Amino acid sequence: MAEIQFVKVTKAFGSNKVIEDLDLTIQDGKFTVLVGASGCGKTTLLRMIAGIGPATSGHVLMDGKDITDLDPAKRDIAMVFQNYAIYPTMTVKENIEFGLKNRKVPKEEREKLIKEYAAVVGLTDYLDRKPGTLSGGQRQRIALARAMVKKPKVFLMDEPLSNLDAKLRVAMRTELIEMHNRLKTTFIYVTHDQTEAMAMADQIVLMDKGRIMQEASPEVIYHDPNNAFTAQFIGTPPMNILPMGEDKLGFRPERVQLGTQRLEGAPFARKGHILTREMLGSETTYKIQMGDEAIMVKSPDDTFQYDQDVVLSVRADDLYFFDKDGQRIRRGDVSNYDQYIQRAGGNNNA
Amino acid sequence: MPKTTLAQAQTDLRRRNKIRSTLGSWAMVFPAILFLCVFTLYPMFNLVQISMYRGNAANAYKKYIGLENYRQLLFVRREFLIALKNTAYYTFIHMFLLIALSVIFAVWLQKDRKINNFAQTAFFVPHLVASVSCAFIWSWIFSTDTSGLMNTVLRAFGLPARNWLGSTSTAMNCVIVMNTWKSIGYYALIILSALKAIPAEIYEAARLDSSSTCKTFFKITLPMLSPQLFMLLITITTGSFKVFDSIRIMTNGGPGTSTQVLCMFIYEFAFNRNNSLGMGAAGGVMLMLILILITLFDFKGLEKKVHYQ
Repeated sequence: MAEIQFVKVTKAFGSNKVIEDLDLTIQDGKFTVLVGASGCGKTTLLRMIAGIGPATSGHVLMDGKDITDLDPAKRDIAMVFQNYAIYPTMTVKENIEFGLKNRKVPKEEREKLIKEYAAVVGLTDYLDRKPGTLSGGQRQRIALARAMVKKPKVFLMDEPLSNLDAKLRVAMRTELIEMHNRLKTTFIYVTHDQTEAMAMADQIVLMDKGRIMQEASPEVIYHDPNNAFTAQFIGTPPMNILPMGEDKLGFRPERVQLGTQRLEGAPFARKGHILTREMLGSETTYKIQMGDEAIMVKSPDDTFQYDQDVVLSVRADDLYFFDKDGQRIRRGDVSNYDQYIQRAGGNNNA
Repeated sequence: MPKTTLAQAQTDLRRRNKIRSTLGSWAMVFPAILFLCVFTLYPMFNLVQISMYRGNAANAYKKYIGLENYRQLLFVRREFLIALKNTAYYTFIHMFLLIALSVIFAVWLQKDRKINNFAQTAFFVPHLVASVSCAFIWSWIFSTDTSGLMNTVLRAFGLPARNWLGSTSTAMNCVIVMNTWKSIGYYALIILSALKAIPAEIYEAARLDSSSTCKTFFKITLPMLSPQLFMLLITITTGSFKVFDSIRIMTNGGPGTSTQVLCMFIYEFAFNRNNSLGMGAAGGVMLMLILILITLFDFKGLEKKVHYQ
């Protein structure tokens, strides 16, 4: 178990600074997910922890010890790569054993460990097979076993599920959560998929263009976003954000009340017209034209039809406000918060 | 139309279609088969036939003597066995040097640097030069005249000059050096492209697995190059067994019999001596058999060790 700390870390590729003066602490024993669009620097951070893509300046600490320039082999970490990076010429067993052999673990112990972890990932019957003869999910398990068998202090995973089909991805997701609950080590997981982040994380670090936009638990990041970027990155469909004078007004698609009449007491109420309707089973997603804006609404009510006129209402507690730079305006931040709520209803027409 | 005749018409049609498609297929491969028969299979059978006669280039079938040529080759005359021994030596050393150096050069050229691009081109150029020209260049380098480069360098360091191509102990090695120099760029290029196809992530995983540079090379890089190395092994061995032009120019088999190789033997007996065309042909048959055996051996012995993706 270990805590990872970034102190004023900068990474540049040539003259292009991907990350600048970043500070971040990743808590011991937690499942932390670094999430963001591709190119936001999340994999770069992961590679710094692994020691295979050193920082241009700044320090990386592990339990307070500076590991910035430490050899990857001496870091007590294990990594699962996006394409698994399995040694294709070795059998499953040799793949798992390679790191142990290099660290001079005695043969008896090696055999014991391989047996133990092959069983954990369900590869006992495949130990003598070459990876080329196995499916994507099984190769993924080799990579996991190879990482687990080292009993590392920190587990690094770089989009490990992105090459699996949708069904297997969901299954592996729960397996990884179980694995974390069992091992209780620090997991650092990189993904571009916010659903994956929300599903697995104890702590989410949301990044954009090399900066941290918000660092919080999934609950906080969903219910209490710090800025418009976070609000729109997390959630499917993303939060609707509308202009409100200089500022911005936001509300989640699933918090809109659809009806033929205005909801009693809702400060925000507008007329709209259904453009598209996607029936997904437990819920239905509507795209609704509302004045000049098209917004998304997710509702358990599937009775509304294409081309129908509806009324959208949002309760005061479900409204979010952002300033012109996209920073969140909370009730405690300003003395005139109630005026914001009033302004939200300024264009009401229902 | 009654049912039976309709069914029959359909069967007929199907049969006609099948015949047409079979004929079409054969028509497509016919040119290739014809080529193979005229230029490969017929000459091969012809070679075996000639090897059982005594004759010369003008009249190959003067007298049928059965396997006498083979008896002479293997048990009476020494020339063939000497040539075989020399060829085997040449092939073994040449193959070993070429594969080892190609891999070393490819590893060295792997990094994307300007100098490496230049070096890659520089190594490849000899491959584009006719081997006869290469042989002439190296004859000059190894020359004992005052113009000989090697000896000039040796003298500059105060070392005694040597008769490189005129000495039985160095002549064959000089030929090997020349042919290795000529081919290395080509083979290094093949290995290089294979090296570049190995994903960087695998090396990163190896670093995280505490693997030393040496271990990574032997346990990961080399096995991943095995298909290319196997291809090199087969082409270099078969190619080396047929070495002729460079030796003909540089040493012409000498001094003594020290650089006599199988193709020189075949050439000598087929065209330079009287009534010994059959002997040359027998040598050709033996060469063919040896190559078939070596290739089979390579495939049987090594195929399991070769890793295909």
